[in-house]
Amino acid sequence: MILAFFLTDTWSFVTDNWDVLREGLKVTLECSAIAIAGAFFIGAIGGAARAYRIPVLSQLAAVYVEVIRCTPILVQIFFLYYGLAQPPISIRFDAFTVCWLAVLIWGGAYNIENFRAGFEAVPQRYREAGLALGFTRFKTFLNVSLPVGGRIALPPSINTYIAQVKNTALVYAIGGTELTSVVLNLNAVTLQTVECFTFLAIVYLAIVWSLSALIRLLEGHLALPEEAR
Amino acid sequence: MPDWVNPVVDYMFHEGLKGTLRIAIGSLIASTVVGVVLGVLITIRFRPLEWLIRLYIEVWRGLPLIVTILMVFFLAPTIGTAFEFDQYTSATIGLSLWGSAQVAEATRGAVQSIPREQHEAASALGFRWTGRQVHVIFPQALRRLIPPLVTLLVGVIQNSTLAAVIGATELLGSGQRQIERLSAPPPQGLGEIHAFEVYGGVAVVFFIISFPLTRLAAYLEKRLI
Repeated sequence: MILAFFLTDTWSFVTDNWDVLREGLKVTLECSAIAIAGAFFIGAIGGAARAYRIPVLSQLAAVYVEVIRCTPILVQIFFLYYGLAQPPISIRFDAFTVCWLAVLIWGGAYNIENFRAGFEAVPQRYREAGLALGFTRFKTFLNVSLPVGGRIALPPSINTYIAQVKNTALVYAIGGTELTSVVLNLNAVTLQTVECFTFLAIVYLAIVWSLSALIRLLEGHLALPEEAR
Repeated sequence: MPDWVNPVVDYMFHEGLKGTLRIAIGSLIASTVVGVVLGVLITIRFRPLEWLIRLYIEVWRGLPLIVTILMVFFLAPTIGTAFEFDQYTSATIGLSLWGSAQVAEATRGAVQSIPREQHEAASALGFRWTGRQVHVIFPQALRRLIPPLVTLLVGVIQNSTLAAVIGATELLGSGQRQIERLSAPPPQGLGEIHAFEVYGGVAVVFFIISFPLTRLAAYLEKRLI
């Protein structure tokens, strides 16, 4: 009874403010999509550089990974937004750019480690077989290591993507236009705190839980045949 | 070093670092205690309890940490005045909800990784459930729990910066205050922005704290598992 009342309340809050909320959700999803796509490429390239010890690139990737993983993402966001805007440098990003850029850089660092582990798990004989078939080293990577290693790296990298979606909420700190900022602004205007946070929690949990379910689904589908281990 | 640096560093170390440590240590202890208890309880085969703890874990791991902290700060007071917390306490509670979910999951894994025979041998020796857990299972599970706890410590220290969002003056928040002060026109400030140096400095401090701890976690993982 109380629950029903509570949910209808939230529902009317959502329908009343749907235009604003939809805009916020759109920005969250856009930022997440750009950041995830970027993190995929950084992860695949950086992970390959680390796994195959490509000189210079490998060391650069290692430094990048350590710097990003050992500093809080909120500090990175402040640095991008306020630090780089300081006069002699004067690189000014808007909140939307900082949102996807910070989350992309952050996710890329974690993804390098995911892909490195994935590529290192590809049995040596697979690559030897590729080379024996006359593929160049690069073609072997593209046709053998990437599909096999990428499959091994998929579940942990989806975990990184989930964390990226959640981290887009941090631009609330610099006044973004994504979901959390929009809802918190509505909260300040309408004072419907319970409805605001109920909606926020439902949306984030729906995104995060369905992506986690996707990992479990993919794990079964993409598991390598036994002899590949 | 320019003149403005000394008072800024002084403030950030006395006020800021203290705030960070206060939040980090408080939530590390709370997360560990609550997480270990929940993680052991979830291994009991009693469905409703299992579902309840599973829900707790999935909710607090699923929500963005900033949303959890904002919930504690803005939403909890709507229940009653007893739930009105200051910024430090709100951040500590938010981090503890998140951290305890992580620890609970790690504990469940560690406890369930202890082979069945250990349970059976302990029962054969006459231990009841509590005795079995306390004297036989948990001491073994603890070894496997240490690396995730070090990782949690790093996470808690880094995520304590989120307290700055609700206005606590931990390391990041104190830096923010100092940047604002310096940007004010003289005589209060300098009329200059020093965001680059201050936030860069905050990042360096966090790196100096986190880097050895991540190394330690990796080392322990190799040694203890």
